[in-house]
Amino acid sequence: MGAHLSVDLHDMVTFPGFRRADGQVGVRNHLLILSTGGLTGQTARRVAAALPGAVLVVLPHSSGLLGVDLRLQRRAIVGMATHPNVGACVLVGDNPVVMRHALADIAPSLRPHAGFTLDDCGHDGLALTDRAVRAGGRLARQISRDRRTAEPLASLGIGLECGRSDPSSGLVANPLLGLVADWLVDAGGWAVLGETLEWLGAERLLAARARTPEAAAAITGAVLARERIAVADGLDLLGSNPGPTNIAAGLSTIEEKSLGNVAKSGSRPIEGLLGYGEAPAHHGLWTMDAAAYAPKSLTGFVVSGVQLLLFTTGVGNPYVSALSPTIKLSANPETCATLGDQLDFDASGAFTGRDSMAAAGHALCRRVLDVAEGELTWGEITGEGDEVLSRFAQAL
Amino acid sequence: MSADAIRLASADNVATVLRAVAAGEDIHVICGSDLTTLHAVDPIPMCHKISVLPIADGQPVIKYGHVIGAASAPVAVGRHVHVHNLRSTRALAAA
Repeated sequence: MGAHLSVDLHDMVTFPGFRRADGQVGVRNHLLILSTGGLTGQTARRVAAALPGAVLVVLPHSSGLLGVDLRLQRRAIVGMATHPNVGACVLVGDNPVVMRHALADIAPSLRPHAGFTLDDCGHDGLALTDRAVRAGGRLARQISRDRRTAEPLASLGIGLECGRSDPSSGLVANPLLGLVADWLVDAGGWAVLGETLEWLGAERLLAARARTPEAAAAITGAVLARERIAVADGLDLLGSNPGPTNIAAGLSTIEEKSLGNVAKSGSRPIEGLLGYGEAPAHHGLWTMDAAAYAPKSLTGFVVSGVQLLLFTTGVGNPYVSALSPTIKLSANPETCATLGDQLDFDASGAFTGRDSMAAAGHALCRRVLDVAEGELTWGEITGEGDEVLSRFAQAL
Repeated sequence: MSADAIRLASADNVATVLRAVAAGEDIHVICGSDLTTLHAVDPIPMCHKISVLPIADGQPVIKYGHVIGAASAPVAVGRHVHVHNLRSTRALAAA
């Protein structure tokens, strides 16, 4: 789409980041307090509260998970504990087997960490709190010595998200994300598009950009599978899509509506389809088969290893990731005026015709680098961040 | 000079207006950094589409550089393009 809009930013080739022992590069140096199950969630909250600046993530499930959920739980724990933005991690949990797997999975990264279960502490939540706070304090001191170094843009990965969309999203804000995705992919980095069901109507266009026939088949297959889930539950996706509100807003066909969504992915070839939370085998543009609800979608991206998230919105919502700074932007002039604090980037100039898309795209790339090197997002300042892992099946 | 409509890709045969446009107005259409003038034949509600090229009945309507459906009637330059003269090919294929 619109190669003539490509953003020329040859001056932006490195950024100050935190280089990890495993070669990853973080844009933050979080101490993560991670509860591997809901049973120790409150303990983890106490630990995080005792260590100002620590980031808290509570995975709600643990024992009894099966199949895809069991594999995802293990993947999510190591994905978060060794996330590029995590300098060190304290894990607390109730299940010694889960903890043993977690510690074994984290070890090869050489990321500083400590893990404790209730079994280690006489099944006493306060004793577990005490041990985790002390270990977390030592890790916080250790990572406070880390310094940013000049790192290549190619080390960055970005997740592309939209929520509470309106006509300004598909017309301006999402195509702007496409410019950022093209820029980052051309620089050797990577970007990922999720929200599978929202590709409906544009899936053949996405598939046509796939690097291999297998990737193309995976993309169309993922949309069909989601469509079948919806149909099986009695939902008619094409008959009512675009709906009356969409039509009043100027959207004529499902293709047009979906193109407004997938415009976030820019124009570069698609390397393949990632499973939920799966890390890409190499850099480039990827798709992820995932639920569209923003908290699940963002956490899928985070577990796959993106250091930053770009989140467009029409009328606004405050949600952000806990681990990856989430840049919220809107092109709706009214939303930009009323939610000026909550939005990290105002793209309304490109919607009112004041700015060209190229100029707005350049400014957004600049803002991405500002946040990468440490400028705080509103969601970080207000502590809005959370992580919500998808659940797929029944548990024992 | 600011734009009244945006043509998202140079291959597009429609642009989207950024404000309500009255019939008979000459409007500025931006594509990348290029600004051109277009005569609006129909009134175009905000965020609706206007044809920037003639489109024959059955021919693809292109936005974002991609086909968003097919014209269901001949469309001259400067006309309102919406559900009255544009049909999804995806929904038809699935029906």
